[in-house]
Amino acid sequence: MARDSVIPPESFDEILAWLNHDRDLAASIYLQIHADLTRIFTFNNCSDPEGLTDEAFDRLAKKIHELRQDYEGDPRLYLYGIARNLIKEELKKVKNQVSLDDFEPAAKTVDETEQETAEMRDDCLHSCLKKLGAEKRKLILSYYAKEKQAKIDHRARLAMQLGTNVETLRVRVYRIRAALEECVERCIDRKAKRK
Amino acid sequence: MDEEILTDTLLRQYLLRKVDHEERQRIEKLFMTDSLARDRVLAAEQELIEDYLEDSLTTEDKEIFLSHYARTPEQQRKLRINKSIKHWAVKEAQATPISSSIWSRFLEPLRSRSAYLVPIAVAILIAIVIAYVWLNRRMEYWAIQKEVAQLNTPASLSQNLPQMASLWLRPVTARSGEAQNQITKQSDIRIVELFLLTIQKERYPIYHAVVQRVGEKELIVTADVEARSDNTIHFRLPVHILTNGSYRIRINGIATDGSTGPAEEYTFSVD
Repeated sequence: MARDSVIPPESFDEILAWLNHDRDLAASIYLQIHADLTRIFTFNNCSDPEGLTDEAFDRLAKKIHELRQDYEGDPRLYLYGIARNLIKEELKKVKNQVSLDDFEPAAKTVDETEQETAEMRDDCLHSCLKKLGAEKRKLILSYYAKEKQAKIDHRARLAMQLGTNVETLRVRVYRIRAALEECVERCIDRKAKRK
Repeated sequence: MDEEILTDTLLRQYLLRKVDHEERQRIEKLFMTDSLARDRVLAAEQELIEDYLEDSLTTEDKEIFLSHYARTPEQQRKLRINKSIKHWAVKEAQATPISSSIWSRFLEPLRSRSAYLVPIAVAILIAIVIAYVWLNRRMEYWAIQKEVAQLNTPASLSQNLPQMASLWLRPVTARSGEAQNQITKQSDIRIVELFLLTIQKERYPIYHAVVQRVGEKELIVTADVEARSDNTIHFRLPVHILTNGSYRIRINGIATDGSTGPAEEYTFSVD
């Protein structure tokens, strides 16, 4: 669960200045690092990826003044170092905390909460698909049209038709799908608030 | 980014926590510093989610997946959205086939049934060969038709051509039986001129002649020839179209109103 940040405004300004002298660019780098760290915590099976990301920036804030003078490396790697320490601490705290008996299988969870948002989700998906543009929509449709074994050949052919390779196609589709997913999430949140 | 290092297999192992600590750190550093590496990791995560939704993961991988990617409400929502996207795409693709070339569309069902590909390819090849042979024969037939038509124009029939032999034929009747006249092929004879005696009282301005081998339905040639005043119909044939065997010529008079008169038949043999 994400928590309120305790970074003082002056430290936050210093962090942005450390990331880049252009404040707008620095802000986008900050957001990217924030998202990346959250992913890293997720990949490491940490229980509160958002909270740990905030904690990483809190720790950074405490040292930012010195860092701006002394540190010469990539700020992303410094933050990754903090993240690794947090992962170690997390592992010590909750060793083997997650047992398979502690959570519901996703399929079951999907069914249980489906009632609440299924209609919303479908509406939002269709609305976001419209915003996506014909070309991207067609690519997503083609990419996900086949399942299981058939999709492998299908995607190889699709990549060939587009004059690219499967890996590049996968990344291209991932970017479109990530934007689509974000759009659907925002749309569901909006609808949920209105409810 | 070191493309060699970030293979699909390695990324999947990383996502399923099956790599050692050092490898994990290396991938994560790349994830943090290289946008393309980040996209590849996230695309691999997407593939993993897709395999889970298709129930294609092994039991062990499925358990690991669930413990990592279906734990928090946010992750569960992400899975639901992914499920919706996939469901939409599959449903949409079934309703409207994805646009592709006619050949691709034709071959698409075959690709998934590769066992049928060889016999189907053979069948297509045979069909092409048959079509080629048929077309060749039709072209040959039309070339003969043209040649015979030119030989039997009034202008051509009025000329005495070199390397031409003549043969008189009477119509086959019940009384005369199948008495055959014979043509012997010789290298210096290119054209045979048949004088077909007609015994019908009715006279027609044009006669339609059909040449066939005896006992076969296939036409060798047909031609329209003008009638003559002496109860004969002159009909010229190039020798090269005649192989050894028996031939039948059937003629019908064509009246000025287009109606057809009774048929008369003639036979001859070639050796």
